[in-house]
Parts: sequence; structure tokens; C-alpha cells
Amino acid sequence: MALELHPLEQFKVEPLIPIHIGGLDLSYTNASLFMTIAVVLITALLVLGTKRGALVPGRWQSVAEMSYEFVADMVDTNAGHGAEPYFPFVFTLFMFVLFANFLGLIPYSFTVTSQIIVTFALAAAVFIGVTIIGFIKHGAHFLRLFVPEGVPFVLLLLLVPIEILSYFIRPFTLSIRLFANMLAGHTMLAIFGGFAASVGLLAILPVGLDVAILALEVLVAALQAYVFAILTCLYLRDALHLH
Amino acid sequence: MAGRVAMSDDRPSDALARLAERLDKAQASGSGAPVAGSGDSAGSQQAMGLGFRIGIEFVVAIIVATGLGWVFDHALGTRPFAMIVMFFLGVATGMLNVYRAITGQGAAVGFRRPSKDE
Repeated sequence: MALELHPLEQFKVEPLIPIHIGGLDLSYTNASLFMTIAVVLITALLVLGTKRGALVPGRWQSVAEMSYEFVADMVDTNAGHGAEPYFPFVFTLFMFVLFANFLGLIPYSFTVTSQIIVTFALAAAVFIGVTIIGFIKHGAHFLRLFVPEGVPFVLLLLLVPIEILSYFIRPFTLSIRLFANMLAGHTMLAIFGGFAASVGLLAILPVGLDVAILALEVLVAALQAYVFAILTCLYLRDALHLH
Repeated sequence: MAGRVAMSDDRPSDALARLAERLDKAQASGSGAPVAGSGDSAGSQQAMGLGFRIGIEFVVAIIVATGLGWVFDHALGTRPFAMIVMFFLGVATGMLNVYRAITGQGAAVGFRRPSKDE
């Protein structure tokens, strides 16, 4: 009995509409498709959900308002004063990651956030944006972020490199955390699914396990979106307030 | 966030009165049972988010720092010293990041839990 497991096949990016411009491969892939679906769903939820604008909200309006208030609250408590202008960015980021994660849980769909290039692009946008905001708000004074207060000069020689390293590691931890969680979860699901297909009646065990893992994955999908957004808020807070 | 509650207010008193009535009734029948999704859940949610966050912090710091050291080595021809130094710096950074994420009282860069008194 040959065990045919291809747990990593689900992460393959395949072009759906090949587009080649000037030696660049700009094909519309399955990843692009699911990003489009996520954006369309989010827009539909928010636009259609709030269209009626009832004082006592219905189900869809409740969902739209709850997600709005959840992120607004997060920005308010974590990014501090003066972070309101950046709420739309954090909200967009949160909703996109959340929907991409949840869409990936649907069987036969594609998990956009399991691609390191996608999560890294998001994290890099946050990192570069926050750095620019910091320099605009504080000028060269922003560099004080790397110099802890009340530390003897000798220790500074050691601490400043550590602080700088700590700062530049941010986009990596931010992107790898999301990517690794998604990759690991979906690989696990596929492996146990593959077992189930090959062991006949005993399949009840791996399928049962898959159900449990799927439940965990729902939690992880929501939590990782939350973590991504909250860290963005914390980085924004650094850039805005320097503490 | 200003304007969060701004909504259409056609005949609000009527709808509000009915809502208040229903809320009163629901609260009376529930007799103070904790409502799901309020109060304590925010704390546990934050704690869980923290737990999921720091798991990877330490490992990534070491890997990225060591990788940077490798790049420096190749660029400057100092093999293997930059990699060794950067490895230890990476360990220090990872520990610092985890410590800050947990205690929430960093002396400097990032990873602070929000304090209410600010």
C-alpha cells in the first residue's frame, strides 16, 4: 500500500491567467484570486452591513460594527493618543489577515497568509511606514529610540546594537509568526487527511483528530490576525510617542 | 474615536424605549449571569495573544541575527567572526524581546504592554 502524501501541495501558487509584461511574471494566480475574494467579502460585509444604518442593528450590521469597534478599541488602548489617523490602516490590515486566514480554512481553498512573501510584504509595509512616521514626527530625535535612558556609557556600546537589532527584527518576527502558524496548521491538517484516505476503517481516528485541529485552527486564524494588528499598534505607539 | 455612535436617528425614542424594555426584561431573567464576551474575556484574550506572540520571538531573533552575521562575513571577508558575534547578539535580543513582551515594562524599544496611566 503506497502512502501518497502531498501535504505541501496545497501551498503551490499556480497561475490562472498568465500575464507576462516585459519579462515580469504578473500572472493572476490562485493566491491573487483568494486575495480578491477576501477584499470583495470584506467590502461587501462593511458596505452592505452598514447600508441600513439602523439604530438597533441587525445581524450583519452587528458584525460590521463589532469588528469596527474591536479594532477602534485596540488602536485606542494600544497605540495611544494621536493614533486615530492610522485606524483605517490597522483596520484594513486586521480584516484582510482575518479573512485570508478564515478563507484558507475552507477545504480546497488557498491560504494566502501561508505564503511568506505575502506576510512579509504586509510586515515590511508596517515596518517602513512606522519608521517613516517616526522620522516625520520626531526627526533625528527618533533615533533616541535606540538609546535606553539612564544607562552607563560602557553598557551603551552593547545595548545600542541590541536595540537596533531588536528594531530590525520586527518585520521578520511579524511575518514569520503569521506564516509559520498558517503553514504548520494546514500541513498538519493535510497530513492527517492523507492518513485518513489510506487506512480504511481506521480513518475515524485521523478524521477525528482533523476535526480537533480544525477547531484549533479557527482559534489560531483569529488570534494571529489579532496579534498582527496589535503589534502594528504597538509599533505605531513607539513611533508616535517614543516613551 | 469620535462619531462612532453617529447613526440615523429617525424616531429614536420609540425604538430606544422598546430596546430598554427588552434589555430590562433580559437582565431580570438572566439574574446577573455574566454575559459572554464582556469583562474578563478581554484579559484572557490579551494573555492568549501574548502567548502566541512570544513563542516565535526568541527563535527568529537568533536566526535573523546569525543570518545577518553571515552576510556581513561574506561582504567584509571576516569569516567567521561577525557570525559568532551576531549569534550572541541575537540571543541577547531574543531574550530581551521575550522579557519585554512578558513583563511589559521595556526600558526602550517596543514590546510594551499598554499602561492605563498614560
